[in-house]
Amino acid sequence: MVRFGLVETGRYAAALLGALLLAGLVQAAGAEGGFVHAAIVRLIALAHFDFGNSAMTGAPAWPEVLKRLPATFSLLGGGAAIALVLGLPLGLILSWGRALRAGAPLIQIVAAAPVFCAGLALLFLAHRANWDVSAKTGLGFWPSVFGGDVGGVARALTAFGLPALVVGAAGAATIQLAIRRAAKDAVREPYRETLRWMGLGAFEIDRRYIAPRVLAGLFANLGEVALSLFAATAVAEWVFGWPGAATLFIHSVALGDWDVAALVLLVFATLALTADFLGHMLARAMGDA
Amino acid sequence: MSLVFTAPPRRMGLRAILRVVGFAGLGAILVVVGLSNVLAYAPADAQNVGRALSPPSQVFPFGTDLFGRDVLSEVLHALAVTVGHATIAVVVTIVTGGILGFLAVRFPMRTGAVLRWIASVLGALPPLFLAILIIGLTSRGFAPEAAGLAAAPHAFLRAFDRARALARSRHAEFARATGIPVTTLMRRDLVYEIRDNFLSMAARSLAAVTITLATLSFFGFGASPPRRDLGLMIAAARESYFDAWWTAAFPALVLMLFILCARLAACLDEGEQP
Repeated sequence: MVRFGLVETGRYAAALLGALLLAGLVQAAGAEGGFVHAAIVRLIALAHFDFGNSAMTGAPAWPEVLKRLPATFSLLGGGAAIALVLGLPLGLILSWGRALRAGAPLIQIVAAAPVFCAGLALLFLAHRANWDVSAKTGLGFWPSVFGGDVGGVARALTAFGLPALVVGAAGAATIQLAIRRAAKDAVREPYRETLRWMGLGAFEIDRRYIAPRVLAGLFANLGEVALSLFAATAVAEWVFGWPGAATLFIHSVALGDWDVAALVLLVFATLALTADFLGHMLARAMGDA
Repeated sequence: MSLVFTAPPRRMGLRAILRVVGFAGLGAILVVVGLSNVLAYAPADAQNVGRALSPPSQVFPFGTDLFGRDVLSEVLHALAVTVGHATIAVVVTIVTGGILGFLAVRFPMRTGAVLRWIASVLGALPPLFLAILIIGLTSRGFAPEAAGLAAAPHAFLRAFDRARALARSRHAEFARATGIPVTTLMRRDLVYEIRDNFLSMAARSLAAVTITLATLSFFGFGASPPRRDLGLMIAAARESYFDAWWTAAFPALVLMLFILCARLAACLDEGEQP
């Protein structure tokens, strides 16, 4: 485990360094003068936690991005919760052979829908039902939850729930797949049959031996789950007009504000790499346990 | 009852049938694209063909849009643009991802490891972000290549890992022991890789780049008028689709059908990201 941890930490550090290099190169692309010189200057600045200034406002890039992160994290949090609530049972149900055969065509069709199409479809339904889906209302969801304001939660539910559902559905697809694959591997283990011969009940075997392996399989795919959540968040922010970091990235690239764009990329890459690293470590710990 | 049912191994027959259905669907789409100018009622971007926002009827089976364009004709033209752009993107993905990843394992001086590191860093970003970044640094006309490059890191990592397993396999050990040159072994493995995995790789890349290209156009980074693709058609329909659902629904359904065929042809697992 120690050797595995060291190797994974080394990989994680190298990947973070790569993400930092990428951010420096993106910033240098928008800088005046020679690219190589600009890249070296930007990389040195990044090493000193100087993330540059926004070309639009002239203000430091970091506060600009920081201002947008709560909206993104609020969507990501809701999406992750929905992904777990939908993905976990779905993965377990679909691990059951007959359920999978019955549900497979439907899942293939749903998986073929680009996220923005799903978002537009939900927006259409909300319009027909006269639901308030403004981002301003939706942003009040988590404060209402933490403040114990039931009325506030109810008011913000549709405005928050629809974009979160778009994000969550994308995450749920990845989660159910990870669980299904892990379950498929686990049920092939010969010890399962041996334990049954020894008199252990099927549920007991699943709970004590299969469930940890399935959970480890889910953790091993945490990076992939995070990536699908981030991609879906970007689209949901755009479709539902949320003032998040992904929208900021799109506007920054369109306007050539490279310092801000690079910083958003760095934040997303760091989060995805961290999820991947933690997932691998947890999966290994579960496997060893 | 056990939560995890010991399902009998899935019959390969079903997978093979679905794969054939996927390829047949892609073939049919290619035929439609080839005949799009003949099948379309009106030329691309022809306005005032009918009354604005007419619902689906016998004359206009997909209805008309805000500018009186025949949605069916526009969908056919947009499908041709989408397929054309996706084909370019797939070639870029296969060359810079699949083939480079496969060959990189045997590059000298640990170049392969460095390339894998770069691919894993780029793979930590959603392909959509990467594509937007590349377009921002170049131009909108570069969208197909950008979508291909954005999908390349994942294709690279998959091909690299497959090639590494092959390089460490017993046949590789025997080949080395018997003095067969590395280049000969690499050539042999590449031929087998292309024979066994090319179609799957191409179909998988097709699904991935089509989603990226459509989303790019939806965001305003992809195709530009008058050469509209399906993503741009859906984006343009945002103005009217609350009252005229057909302006967005039909392009979206055709886009989904195209992606579904590519997914089936690639034998992707249910819910698997391409």
